Amino acid sequence: MHDISSPSELTKSLVRLHRRTLLQGTACGFGALAAGALAQGQAFARPSHPASIGASLHHPARAKRIIFLFMQGGVSQVDSFDYKPELGKRDGQSMPFDDARTLAKSGRRGTPQRLMKSPWRFSQYGDSGRWVSELFPCVGKHVDDLCFLHGMHTNGVAHGPATLFLHCGSTNFVRPSIGSWLYYALGAENDSLPGFVTIGPPRGNGGARNYGNAFLPARFQGMPIGSAGRDALEISCIERAGVSQHQQASQVQLIQRLNQQQLEQHAVHHDEWEAVIQSYETAWRMQQIAPELMDFSSESAQTQAMYGLDRAETQGYGRKCLLARRLCEAGVRFIQVNYGDNSANPAWDQHSNLPKHAEHALAVDQPISALLTDLKARGLLDDTIVWWGGEFGRTPYAQSNGTGRDHNPRGFTVWLAGGGFKPGYAHGETDPFGFTGVRGKVHMHDLHATLLHQLGLDHQRLTYSHAGRDFRLTDVYGRVIKEVLAS
Amino acid sequence: MKISVLILSNVLLAGLLCTHTAWSQPAGEDPQADLFEKHIRPALLKHCLECHSQETETSGGLNLGAREGWQRGGDLGPAIVPGRPDASLLMQALQYDDPDLAMPPEGKLDEMTIAYFRQWIQDGAWDPRTLEKVPDSAPQGLTVEHASQHWAYRQPQPAPPPTDPNASGPVDAWINEALRQANLQPMPPAPIGQLVRRVAFDLTGLPPDPQQLQRIVQAADPKRALRQWVDELLATPAYGETFARHWMDVARYAESITLRGFVLGEAWRYRDYLIRAYASDLGFDQMVRQQIAGDLLEYDSIEDQQWGAIATGFLALGNTNLETQDKVELDFDHIDEQLEVIGNAFLGQTIGCARCHDHKFDPIPTADYYALAAIFRSTVPLTHANLSRWIEKPLPLAGEQAAHYQHLTQRQQQLAEDIKAVEAELGAKNLRRQYPSDQFAGIVIDDQQAKLVGQWSTSDHTAGYVDAGYRHDANQGKGEKTATFEPAGIPPGQYEVRMSYTSATNRADRVHVEVFSADESKVVFVNQRKQPAIDGIWISLGTYRFEENGQAHVMVSNEASSGHVIIDAVQFLPLEQQTSQRERSEASVEETRAEQFAVRLKQLRAEQNDVKKQLEQRPHFLTIAEGTPVEQLEIRLRGLPHQLGKPVSRGFLTAIEPSQYWAQQIDNQQSGRRQLAEWLVDPRNPLIARVYVNRVWTWLMGAGLVTTPNNFGTTGAEPSHPELLDYLAAELIRSQWSTKHVVRLITSSDAYARQTVNDRDPAVQVDPDNRWYWGSHLKRLPVEAIRDAVLVVSGELDTACFGPTIQSRVNNDYDYQHWLPRRSIYQPLFRNSLPPLYDVFDFPNSSVSVGIRARTTVASQSLAMLNHPWLHQQAAAAAERFWQRAGDRSSISQQEWIEVFFMHALGRLPSTQELEIALSYAESPEQFASFIHAVFASIDFRYLP
Repeated sequence: MHDISSPSELTKSLVRLHRRTLLQGTACGFGALAAGALAQGQAFARPSHPASIGASLHHPARAKRIIFLFMQGGVSQVDSFDYKPELGKRDGQSMPFDDARTLAKSGRRGTPQRLMKSPWRFSQYGDSGRWVSELFPCVGKHVDDLCFLHGMHTNGVAHGPATLFLHCGSTNFVRPSIGSWLYYALGAENDSLPGFVTIGPPRGNGGARNYGNAFLPARFQGMPIGSAGRDALEISCIERAGVSQHQQASQVQLIQRLNQQQLEQHAVHHDEWEAVIQSYETAWRMQQIAPELMDFSSESAQTQAMYGLDRAETQGYGRKCLLARRLCEAGVRFIQVNYGDNSANPAWDQHSNLPKHAEHALAVDQPISALLTDLKARGLLDDTIVWWGGEFGRTPYAQSNGTGRDHNPRGFTVWLAGGGFKPGYAHGETDPFGFTGVRGKVHMHDLHATLLHQLGLDHQRLTYSHAGRDFRLTDVYGRVIKEVLAS
Repeated sequence: MKISVLILSNVLLAGLLCTHTAWSQPAGEDPQADLFEKHIRPALLKHCLECHSQETETSGGLNLGAREGWQRGGDLGPAIVPGRPDASLLMQALQYDDPDLAMPPEGKLDEMTIAYFRQWIQDGAWDPRTLEKVPDSAPQGLTVEHASQHWAYRQPQPAPPPTDPNASGPVDAWINEALRQANLQPMPPAPIGQLVRRVAFDLTGLPPDPQQLQRIVQAADPKRALRQWVDELLATPAYGETFARHWMDVARYAESITLRGFVLGEAWRYRDYLIRAYASDLGFDQMVRQQIAGDLLEYDSIEDQQWGAIATGFLALGNTNLETQDKVELDFDHIDEQLEVIGNAFLGQTIGCARCHDHKFDPIPTADYYALAAIFRSTVPLTHANLSRWIEKPLPLAGEQAAHYQHLTQRQQQLAEDIKAVEAELGAKNLRRQYPSDQFAGIVIDDQQAKLVGQWSTSDHTAGYVDAGYRHDANQGKGEKTATFEPAGIPPGQYEVRMSYTSATNRADRVHVEVFSADESKVVFVNQRKQPAIDGIWISLGTYRFEENGQAHVMVSNEASSGHVIIDAVQFLPLEQQTSQRERSEASVEETRAEQFAVRLKQLRAEQNDVKKQLEQRPHFLTIAEGTPVEQLEIRLRGLPHQLGKPVSRGFLTAIEPSQYWAQQIDNQQSGRRQLAEWLVDPRNPLIARVYVNRVWTWLMGAGLVTTPNNFGTTGAEPSHPELLDYLAAELIRSQWSTKHVVRLITSSDAYARQTVNDRDPAVQVDPDNRWYWGSHLKRLPVEAIRDAVLVVSGELDTACFGPTIQSRVNNDYDYQHWLPRRSIYQPLFRNSLPPLYDVFDFPNSSVSVGIRARTTVASQSLAMLNHPWLHQQAAAAAERFWQRAGDRSSISQQEWIEVFFMHALGRLPSTQELEIALSYAESPEQFASFIHAVFASIDFRYLP
């Protein structure tokens, strides 16, 4: 077991790994590889290092990967999964609340706020009888597979800080994203794809910092596929438009011929130069695999319809969810599926006009349900964690007495599925209005710690030494929420 | 001793490993003991001790596992004051009053248990649990008193270099001595051609000119020719550009802020400052002074004063989260960022570690951190608003120019007053009863279309409203009514938002109006007793930015108002339409005796616009401002900005000489930045010269004498050649802190000129990391040089120096299109839109100080090399260029111009095989472009062997 907390150890193991692949590369040669890939139209590369997981774990893992369904802007818990009949009864009444924004700005507590009931009906679903609003009828059918965290709380009142905190565990400082931590700790299951992918990332509210490696080695940054606000799911520089496969192949071969020549001409030998040659081979492999990964034509019409690819409202997020399942099969460790946009007040951010929540729910409900069904049918839900949530929740009262709800970092709902979490279970509770967690509170640091735990990692031991300090995803906080783990 | 077996077993089962528990009183006979054993102990066990005990993590320094633990308390002080529950922090935490201090974390305890705790504390907090020994504090790292145990805190000890007849100078004398001791044979000198290319890229970031290269290679004494050439290169602006870029890594230079992509439009002046400073070999001590306090120093000329002031941009480049709502927290985060960079950059210290607790390893107590923080607490780094903003100040100007702008400023004030007076004259008398909304530009939402909450009454009693009548709150139901004015789909852009109301004396004088825009929300208070300033109809709520699908609405509330609150209409006026709006509405004002006032008003406003534009021409620079001196600053416990500890005076790191001397020089008139700068560059400071020469060594040699250039603390690396490091530091100071002098010392050494280490050499077994410099470290081109070299080969490089380079009218840095064919250092450095290739080729994170760039070899680099469209364009341009150069095919052979291409691209002639490949591709410009592209992608182009 190598010590994953030391970068130099990691580097050494990478070098060992590199030597091994290099030998394999020399055995068949570049030409053979290129020709083979072209001729056979390489299928998904199967995990080539299945042994990499487990080699570095702190304890046995319950899950191998995470799919994070990021609901940017903050879904209102009292309009989705945190049913509060009391709120309906006292609609319009004024009550004092420690509004998070007022508190941060002025330190004032107990400011009067007008309660606003949910415009949506709730009903009970599944054997577990969980209450779900009519915004999520499809997800509702899966409640017996879901584990709800109703007492979530987090840091940051504005989107920027809270979004960075959600991803990196810090509202301000430049820290690695949780996906980078996992990739760093566990490596990739597939040597032709990176271990951390984010689909349709928004550029606002921290943008690339939310999938950045910060001080971890650069290879652990998340690879973006597409970007928010655009339908196309592309990887940067993965291909060159208007150039045939044959021309591409001969260009790569030309580069490699020159590289070989230069290597031989030099009096001295550098391992790094061989790594450069190797990286062209890997790039070529990625270039072969990626188009196939993005090509959904091999999916049955039934599957495509299940994800909502046949409807304008659902096809956007549906395609991302379907791609997530394919990446999951291809061995990517951390797949983030973003539902958001590039504005400073993204997607779910209904400060006014709360009914707009319905538009967003419609876009994600069916695709998410399809993903859960699909993962389960393929046996992937056992070792995949599906994590649904936003950067914070929303207030149960109308913002400034208007028609929307403000940010609420003090109480909101996140759900998890698969990966060894208790199915059909709800942990924690907010007050009768759904404003603040009162029981079973789980801080974002705790959620991070718990997710790492399920992947076989101790959040206190997963460290990286930088600028004279050992850094952690959870800083000096975080505890594993044992109550939600399936025995 | 009779105790409850049940309780005891509970205690044991629950896993209490509390040390030396003693029950002095049998439970059941003493009500205090009873309370403790039945309710308090179990609750502590169940909810507290998992974190707050000596056996676990003693979180926050608080141990609730024993009486002495809570008596001494944690970071915030004693947890319990016996007899006074309301004064006890523990009660505060249990009652969940304060979100920063709410325990236990999983949720508030039930009221019964909280009541038991209250009772228990009221009764004196009887607690039988004792510890044999309460540790004074966490184990300490190196203390200030013992700082000199670590080499970096000791004064440099100048030593004579070892006598070595073969050494070309002191640098080689020390390097060779160490090689002898390690029994290592150095690599032979690199071929002169390779060396020329190495020097060119190291000093200018550009490939050598083929003719210069040839001249040196063919010189009678190539070594001498090379040395002369070094002097020539040091005199070029390209040297300034290259070394400035090195420092920009350290200074976390960027021209935008990640969150919301705000553009730091004046940051480029700091970049130009660095280029000028390096090109003119400004002493490094002066560079430090200016970056810390250049706005406060005296200068001989206005130009020097300008550049000195611009240097303070260094303090303002942090990637700060301007939307943090708690502004005190924001201030302290901002200070922390500055201290961290100052510590890294100048002293190789990790000062930030001491924000929450004494540095765990280095002699930096928290008191020192806050002594430094107090200096910056005495400055104003940001102006606060919902979204705070960085500071840009007018550049100091010479007499005539300064007077010109002073005059303009005065005129601007005068105009504002005049306009106000005329507007008052225009008055309400001239108002028509009703104005149709379609007469106004932009989007107008009338009260009829507003979303109303609560009971609003309609009226048309007072004249001057938009469309049919207006509404009011009847001065009743305060806090219950709102009206939201929201356009259905507003085109993105900048808008002035205006509101109309009919004024009267019975109106509310402080109406709460909130504008929701792309930049969160802003509250404006409107006095509806006063007539609206614009044409008697509108009042401006300010200028706002709206985004596609973003929030865009105005909400009027009657909360906390006294008097009638009026809602009539809200106008979203695109900025470019402001003028036409005025003309239209003015034309519509009936021609009355007020006409002359209207004309006058128009003139005044035109002049106001003109003056505003002229004032905007005045150059500004990015900086921080001096503030009220904070002579004492409270330590922030655990780094929490609202948890105050004991106050400290302004000062420096006490472990680093001569901190006492300079701390005493701080007066109560200034922030103390000048003294901070003087302490940093004082020759008695053991760190700064060492840290800096180690950087220069790293930049040129590929690896530092200290391999952790940003960390000279106890967790950093030890110097491989301490005497050499001290020699170079002494030389730096002796040469009046001349960077060029140090560059010459290094580049003229044999150690610099060796062949690169061979990974198959047996010496690798002895010294795998080449710490003894038995060969040169293999350097590769940083992304900036790859890009510049490609542009040189393609012939498209624009070598212009200095100046702003961001395209005009850029509001944020998202999706910025980089197109400039200038050197990489001039590409706008946007944190959300790095120039092409930067992110894959290890460009450092520009949000933190970086001492050594990461060095990765990953597939995404190869993908970029294969497919990035820019490289294809450049290869095509280069093919065109060399194809044309071939020109008349009869006078120059194909082979010859391929050789010319190789000299430009790789600084050498092609090998036989390379020539063969090239010739086979040189049949058409397209084919040749493909070949050139392959050369760009090849090893020899990207490395400096």
